[in-house]
Amino acid sequence: MNETRLRIGLLRLTDSAPAILAQEFGYFADEGVDAELHIEPSWANIADKLTYGFLDAAVIVPPLAFAIELGLRGLSQPLVIPCNVSLGGNTVTLESPLAEKLRAAAPDRSMPAALCGLLQERGAPLTLGIVHAYSTHNLLLRYWLASGGIDSERDVRLLVVPPARAVEALTSGQIAGFCAGAPWGEVAARAGVGRAVATSDDIWRNAPEKAFAVRRRWADDNPGALEGAVRAMVRAAQFCDAPENASYTGALLARQRYLDVDSHAILSSLPGGAVASRNTSRFWRNTATFPWLSHARWFLDQMARWNLLAPDVDRAALAARVYRPDLYRRAARPLEISLPLQDSKTEGAHGAAWSLDATPDPITMEPDRFCDGAVFAADGQPTVPSNAQ
Amino acid sequence: MVLRILLIDTDAARAAALEESLSGAGYAQVVRVGSEELSAAVERSQPDLIIIDMALPDRDALEDIRAVSAASPIVMFAGTDDPGFAQEAIAAGVCSYNLSGVALADVKPIMASAIALFHRYRHVETELAAARAQLDERRQIERAKAILMKDRRMSEPEAYRWLQRKAMDESRKLSLIVAEFVAAHEASQRETKS
Repeated sequence: MNETRLRIGLLRLTDSAPAILAQEFGYFADEGVDAELHIEPSWANIADKLTYGFLDAAVIVPPLAFAIELGLRGLSQPLVIPCNVSLGGNTVTLESPLAEKLRAAAPDRSMPAALCGLLQERGAPLTLGIVHAYSTHNLLLRYWLASGGIDSERDVRLLVVPPARAVEALTSGQIAGFCAGAPWGEVAARAGVGRAVATSDDIWRNAPEKAFAVRRRWADDNPGALEGAVRAMVRAAQFCDAPENASYTGALLARQRYLDVDSHAILSSLPGGAVASRNTSRFWRNTATFPWLSHARWFLDQMARWNLLAPDVDRAALAARVYRPDLYRRAARPLEISLPLQDSKTEGAHGAAWSLDATPDPITMEPDRFCDGAVFAADGQPTVPSNAQ
Repeated sequence: MVLRILLIDTDAARAAALEESLSGAGYAQVVRVGSEELSAAVERSQPDLIIIDMALPDRDALEDIRAVSAASPIVMFAGTDDPGFAQEAIAAGVCSYNLSGVALADVKPIMASAIALFHRYRHVETELAAARAQLDERRQIERAKAILMKDRRMSEPEAYRWLQRKAMDESRKLSLIVAEFVAAHEASQRETKS
């Protein structure tokens, strides 16, 4: 069989797991895809190399994929997202003394409301690290701060700190806290310099996190290989999501060639990797691999809210151009998995487990609440009838 | 025209060489920074152009430089109207940010010397790595031969032919066969000891 080369960019993050697994287990090779994994030092590298054709695909934060598609950083490169990679996994970590103070103040108020109070007493903005302007973390952190009445333009100063540098910046006092993906919150906690005050789940239960983005030209030129790559990612996601596989996956990721950090720090962010861990990435359950149009719409609305996107951009068209549930459905056909009946769902409407209409069998879903209780229905999109109570 | 250039590179020798070549050509006033907070360095030195090693994670911090230089535009790769030029820069492992909107024509010779220098250093690195790998491989082959000669009483040419044949039969690289053979031998030695 003639193998198709697929160069995939990754960062040193827990949610690179499915791509690494798919490579190590030969899932890509099974599909005739000759995958090359490139561990990059920064989101900027991922973005530039995708833009200039040095990478064909990447595990990426969705807002950055939109920025590349639109050319917000320079030259544009059309991308498609045929599958999602992970849900959750981020922490808002504050320097330990501040986190303690906040915890003490928080019992009768929400954490961001308590932080708002502390900031007013302080009278000076707090510097917080985000991993990139076009990151999930920037949007989630701002959403969380805003839910407590904090103006993220005035009351805090948001500084871009690469994830692998966040702990160092916290230790040196350059930042008072950060929002970053696993395992970096856990690494800060283990070093005794920071404590998590919120996780992705506290901001938005089962929030979408990383996506698998592919250059549209590669996808158009290699439709069969694209489907194969999606299947490989889905199979790997199923493996990574099984609690009994956590120690294996953790040890694999910890290798020097990949994340090169303490496997225990990674383990606590893997499903089943830690007892009562509040912050694991999810790779398969809750339709974690499905590229929901409603997720794309939420990201784009939030980007517009914080002036990362011009108000005149047609967000519905952009979402549909990049997020491609149709490609996912086509690729998934031979896998005999349940597929959602719709491409969008109402986000934030479920406070308890609910059932998603899917074929052949409905899918049991966990809650999807936002910290401010908002319900997000991507306008103009058909929404799934709510089975929630 | 003298441009103010901020050079961010942890490879001190390369940074010094680039600084010398740029200031020698009369292009630039070069400010070099180590690993201090980038946005602070940019604010302080107000550069027209930033040249940075692609391998530094700090590039993420540069992406948000608008925050500190709201007045000046930031253009990656000193102008996006020449994708081929940008591609060369990436391949060489160097990236540039044009902060004050200086024309590409003015920036090009500067970037060209950075690209050439990064290429040269990369070439040296690659050669060094290849030489090391080769040395390692030879050492492993010697070791594998020694094991075969001692344990299986082969002569040296016999031992070498045995390894070569094994590589051919399994149609895999000799270096891989040898590495596996040595590793397996060491594992069995450890087992017999314990």
